[in-house]
Amino acid sequence: MKNFNWLLDGSIVGLYLLVTMFAGLYVRKYVGKVEHFLVAGREMDVYLGIASLAATEFGIVTCMYTAQNGFKYGFSGATPGILMALAMLFVGLTGFVIKPLRDSGVMTIPELIEKRFGSRIRMAAGIVIVLGGLLNMGVFLRIGGQFLVTVAGLNVGYLEIMMTLLLIGVAVYTIFGGMLSVLITDFLQFVVMSIGLIAVTILILYTVGWDTLVNTVEINHGAGGFNPFVHPEMGWQYVAFNGLLNLAAVLTWQTTIARVLASKDSKTGQQIYTRTSFFFICRFLIPGIWGIAALAVLGNATDSLDAMPQFLAITVPMGLMGILIAAMLAADMSTDSSYMLTWASVIYNDILAPFRKGWSEKRGLLWNRFIVALIGIFLLIYGLWFKLEGDLWTYLGLTGTIYLASISVLLVAACYWKRANSWGAVASIFVSAAIPLGFLILEKTNLDLSKQIGPYYSGIAAYVCSALAMIIGSLLKPKGENTI
Amino acid sequence: MKTFWFVLTILAIIWYIVVTAYVGFKGIADIKQMLKRLEAQKIEDDENNFQ
Repeated sequence: MKNFNWLLDGSIVGLYLLVTMFAGLYVRKYVGKVEHFLVAGREMDVYLGIASLAATEFGIVTCMYTAQNGFKYGFSGATPGILMALAMLFVGLTGFVIKPLRDSGVMTIPELIEKRFGSRIRMAAGIVIVLGGLLNMGVFLRIGGQFLVTVAGLNVGYLEIMMTLLLIGVAVYTIFGGMLSVLITDFLQFVVMSIGLIAVTILILYTVGWDTLVNTVEINHGAGGFNPFVHPEMGWQYVAFNGLLNLAAVLTWQTTIARVLASKDSKTGQQIYTRTSFFFICRFLIPGIWGIAALAVLGNATDSLDAMPQFLAITVPMGLMGILIAAMLAADMSTDSSYMLTWASVIYNDILAPFRKGWSEKRGLLWNRFIVALIGIFLLIYGLWFKLEGDLWTYLGLTGTIYLASISVLLVAACYWKRANSWGAVASIFVSAAIPLGFLILEKTNLDLSKQIGPYYSGIAAYVCSALAMIIGSLLKPKGENTI
Repeated sequence: MKTFWFVLTILAIIWYIVVTAYVGFKGIADIKQMLKRLEAQKIEDDENNFQ
């Protein structure tokens, strides 16, 4: 047990959990239709959207990989955040893809894809989205638990029990209230999470000091710690991969897009993007500073993923520790609930589409709730046995690329290229899934070869080849044949 | 580059404090409005089902 005090900090955490559960369950009475469950009846306005998007896209896992980036790469580790902010700003200002997507009135991305490429492509798109999304989310639980037990100084043996209970709590309000519960709890979680993040960052800057942070980066990383292009482990390929990854994520990451689809209209969706864009710099930079501070205090012999929570455990005082843990629980719960709901929405709306003709609203709701519960069970099982190789952000980027590359290509083609067709779509989905999956398998079977190729070239190849596959496949198909 | 990261860090902290306060305040109004509209929809749906 370190600085965590059960009476003071435990009470803060307990109060936060009680309020969240109450709020999450309270709004279940407004859920009468599948549309309420999946997109909150499309009644979300700008500020609730900003809070929800920010809370969803910042979980404990985010804090861990961004801090790991800070520890391993210095300030250059925040590069993906800057690239994502630029992508959000560009898409928000221009409405690129998200405007036609919201205007079409669909509930998921594959629903729009069906309008252009047919029902089989919709199902295939749904499968890769769910596959990439669930593999991505699979590591959330263990990483979150790792953070919480380290910071609170709990026995590691409690990790599984603690995270199981947390997941059950999140699943209960998500199953009953769907997107409405997610939005209300996201709002609470955004406020609690932000207070905790700001307070801890100010404490770190005050106790460790800016000059110490800069000197630490200089000593451990040299010029590469400030400029990603000259960092020996990063370089142009890291920047290029993250540029493509973040643009694709902004356009197609289902949890992000869910906020556009739940917004009142496309203008509101664009405003949410524009006004949240700078948050993505904070999302990488603030925990990145925590990671650098951990490097300054603990030294570079510490494990890069464990360093930040170990550092917080000895730095954050009693009282603030309770706020920090409540903040991180808030971050994790908002991410888990939103991710469970989002992938469930794709399974119900797109993969089950051919089987649910004539279903009543009541039956649809029941199935949605059942799928959310199944995803929760998957998370428990996968989260307990999967062993992570390499750094966390790269794993998340690679598993996300399984669908990000093809779905972003499909979406852009569906919205802006008249010649695009189902042959190109199939080729694009296949290539985009095969390259990152092949690399993940290679990491488990031939580590040396996988290290030679590296995740960045593999990631770039997935995006470039997926776009080429769309172009070549579409041009090969004779004109006039609309479906396979 | 050091100045760039210093300015960005300060901007990030200030932006985050301002946005948390502003969104925290305006978000409550959004929630109230959303629940009001959903309540009205629910009443309308119930009436249609009854007819």
